[in-house]
Amino acid sequence: MNLFASFNLAISRIMATKTRSILTMLGIVIGVASLVALMSVAQGATSGISNALSGLGAKQITVSGTSATGLVEDDVTALSMLPYVESTYSQVSGQGTASTGKVDVSLSLVGVSPNYASMALPKIAVGSFLPSSLPMQASRDVVLSAVAANDLNIKVEQIGQIIYINGQPFQLVGVLNDANGFGARGIAYVTQDAARKIFAQTPYVSSITLQSTTETDVAAVTTEADTLLRGRYGLSATDSAQFMVTSQTSLLSTLSTVQNTLKLMLGGIASISLIVGGIGIMNIMLVSVRERTREIGVRRAIGARQRQILVQFLIEAVVLSVLGGFIGLVLGELAAYFVAKAGGWAFTISAGTVGLALGFSALVGIVFGVVPARTASKLQPVEALRFE
Amino acid sequence: MSSVVSLSSVRREYTLGTNTTVALDDVTLDIAAGEFVAIIGPSGSGKSTMMNLIGCLDRPTRGLVSVAGYDVADLDDDALTSLRSQAIGFVFQQFQLLPRTSALDNVATPLLYQGVKQREARQRAEEILTMLGLSDRLDNDRTQLSGGQQQRVAIARALVTNPALVLADEPTGALDSTTGRQVMDLLKDLNRAGRTVVVITHDANVANYADRQIHLLDGRISSDQRTKVTA
Ligand SMILES: Nc1ncnc2c1ncn2[C@@H]1O[C@H](COP(=O)(O)OP(=O)(O)OP(=O)(O)O)[C@@H](O)[C@H]1O
Ligand SMILES: [Mg+2]
Repeated sequence: MNLFASFNLAISRIMATKTRSILTMLGIVIGVASLVALMSVAQGATSGISNALSGLGAKQITVSGTSATGLVEDDVTALSMLPYVESTYSQVSGQGTASTGKVDVSLSLVGVSPNYASMALPKIAVGSFLPSSLPMQASRDVVLSAVAANDLNIKVEQIGQIIYINGQPFQLVGVLNDANGFGARGIAYVTQDAARKIFAQTPYVSSITLQSTTETDVAAVTTEADTLLRGRYGLSATDSAQFMVTSQTSLLSTLSTVQNTLKLMLGGIASISLIVGGIGIMNIMLVSVRERTREIGVRRAIGARQRQILVQFLIEAVVLSVLGGFIGLVLGELAAYFVAKAGGWAFTISAGTVGLALGFSALVGIVFGVVPARTASKLQPVEALRFE
Repeated sequence: MSSVVSLSSVRREYTLGTNTTVALDDVTLDIAAGEFVAIIGPSGSGKSTMMNLIGCLDRPTRGLVSVAGYDVADLDDDALTSLRSQAIGFVFQQFQLLPRTSALDNVATPLLYQGVKQREARQRAEEILTMLGLSDRLDNDRTQLSGGQQQRVAIARALVTNPALVLADEPTGALDSTTGRQVMDLLKDLNRAGRTVVVITHDANVANYADRQIHLLDGRISSDQRTKVTA
């Protein structure tokens, strides 16, 4: 009897006891569904995060002051001289108001140094970003975030016109495409020199961003920056400082720890349900062997070898569990699709996940099908034929 | 004349705990190719035990069983299965058709176990079922067939591998007398066509179809008579 015939036979047996087969598959369905959902979600989230980090973000280190007077302009100069630091920008920030004459809103004010445009790569919706050449640094230009522009009810034709920041006239040169979602506060970007004149006290800066030469230097630069600043402020390595040095890489490692815990938990659930599902299959196969003892006897009498009986029952167990695995795969991918939609990353079906789901369920079928199949194949023909 | 089956001083005991039942004792017997033999005896006399031994489904406790020239003691389970598959066709008392399986697939199954391709197996099964007048019942499973039809399917299944020996254990036991006669006529025809047929029965009328009657009593052969000389 070839595999194809055995396979057909297995399908017809499973169809003959539909309800029982479906109930038996349930454990495998749940196990594989959670396995697939877990893998897809983990992969989707990881690729989402690394997409966000790819590009310049991955090479950047941020030093932020924990108090308004935490960092000064000389710190920027000193940090920019560190080895492997390619470029630097700083920001000053505060609160203020913006007015078009008709509408007044309060918003965050940010004064950025010339390198901001090339390092943070702000996305422009209309107009342009602030000028970055040095003579223009004192220019009274302003760029609004999408939320601020919306709050001020800015129209495209207002680009180039005057709006008032803290009561002072500024020319609106551009609006960003940086939708931050509901409730986010608007931001007005001005040059740092202009900021010094209207809200920021010299020589303090709120944060400094460093860009390392390569991604592999990020860790070294992070440590060096911390050491340098501690030196400048006479702090030992254990003193609490008025600044914090962070990188997106360190953020990512925290995230991946969380992710690993999640994976472990879901993986635990998946493997327990797979084992429970496997035991269910073993149980139902043992019942089936008992019910079909006479049939096995007849088959042995008319020429079935022990191996052919063994393979027959094994195939039945594997078909049962792979069928369950397939249903679980579909449900799991469906769950992953909705999670991806909610999480805002791209949904993909990876060949690895599909292979693992079907492979695992086949393995469960083989492992838990062996005992019933062996029992069936070892039946003595005469006794099997006499069985009532 | 070559013997298809040969038993020599065969004993078969069944042990249940400390109890030992002797089902067959010191049985010596030769069945030649082309014979039509009836094994007859009361219930419990050892007929089924003998059929299991001749059919290579069981092994003797003592003595020698050889079928188609092979000493059963020399064969392992696989070889014994091969011998059954090649040389013996079984017809059981309760028909024993495979459940939820069409008449056609029932008859094709022995060929599939021999490794014959499904298409060819079905074709050969159809031929033989047609020969037995069941061409319009190919797709029916056992719940959709009468007793006589089931027994004819069972006979088709026994014949499809073209075995040298057809073994029938109470082939008419579950049939009414008319249908029973038809089945016996069929076995008689098979024998006339050159096949060796062994029928086990406790019914003298059935035994009368045979050319040779072997009577069993308490596990021993009490008489062995040829009613007709075989060619
Ligand atoms: N598997 C077994 N275990 C124990 N004893 C058995 C077994 N098979 C048969 N026997 C005993 O062996 C003896 C012969 O049994 P067997 O089945 O061969 O009789 P039989 O002639 O076929 O009877 P019947 O006409 O009722 O079918 C009986 O006493 C029976 O109880
Ligand atoms: Mg009997």
